[in-house]
Amino acid sequence: MTTAQDRSLPDLDDEPVPAMQQILDNPFLLLFVGIALPTVLYIVWGVMEIVGIPIAK
Amino acid sequence: MSALSSPPDRVWWKQPLDRVEGTWIAIAFAWCLIMFFMMPYWHVYGKQNLSNEAYRTTPEMFQAKTQAMVDKFKVREETDQKVPVVAPPAGSDVYLIARLWQWWPMLELEEGKTYRLHLASMDWLHGFSLQPENINIEVHPGYEHVMTMTPTKAGTYSIICNEYCGINHHTMASRLYVVKAK
Repeated sequence: MTTAQDRSLPDLDDEPVPAMQQILDNPFLLLFVGIALPTVLYIVWGVMEIVGIPIAK
Repeated sequence: MSALSSPPDRVWWKQPLDRVEGTWIAIAFAWCLIMFFMMPYWHVYGKQNLSNEAYRTTPEMFQAKTQAMVDKFKVREETDQKVPVVAPPAGSDVYLIARLWQWWPMLELEEGKTYRLHLASMDWLHGFSLQPENINIEVHPGYEHVMTMTPTKAGTYSIICNEYCGINHHTMASRLYVVKAK
């Protein structure tokens, strides 16, 4: 199989790095998302639901 | 291939997915979908997990509403503690207090009729557990939980507390009567 470049050598070309790869290669971004997403989806959403409980008549 | 060194390609995203890894991902994803759809399915068909309808209340407010129901619909008293038994009309709001350490009052409902059951605690967390139907709801102070329920079979059912609530938690049991429709 031939490709435009020899992919076994480290390349310094300008080929853009795909967005998904940039995300998965950034450990601190992953750490942030891994904490922020569950916090928002569980804690924040849950508190919003509880605060929104109406008063009994 | 080691997980500790960088991938050999700068743009590794385009590396084709290994067949074994792809199979693993497919199986794991299929199981995730099964578990995900099991949640709404069991909610509808599982006969146990109830959609929540809740309101903020206070022990005083809830006690007043319960007392009003007892005053109107009491039919007799039972047990040494002289707990009133109430027979509220079909379609009405029925109130049940959970407190240390009793359920108050006792309810006598009619088979096939629908009631709105309101549950609240006067002190701290209790667990409403209707046996043997195995309908379980946590009962909190400050919140009034409402269930729409229709008893389908006449008989005597047990209400026990299934959230540990103190030294006499094991004595916190009551009866629910379902009588044939008059």
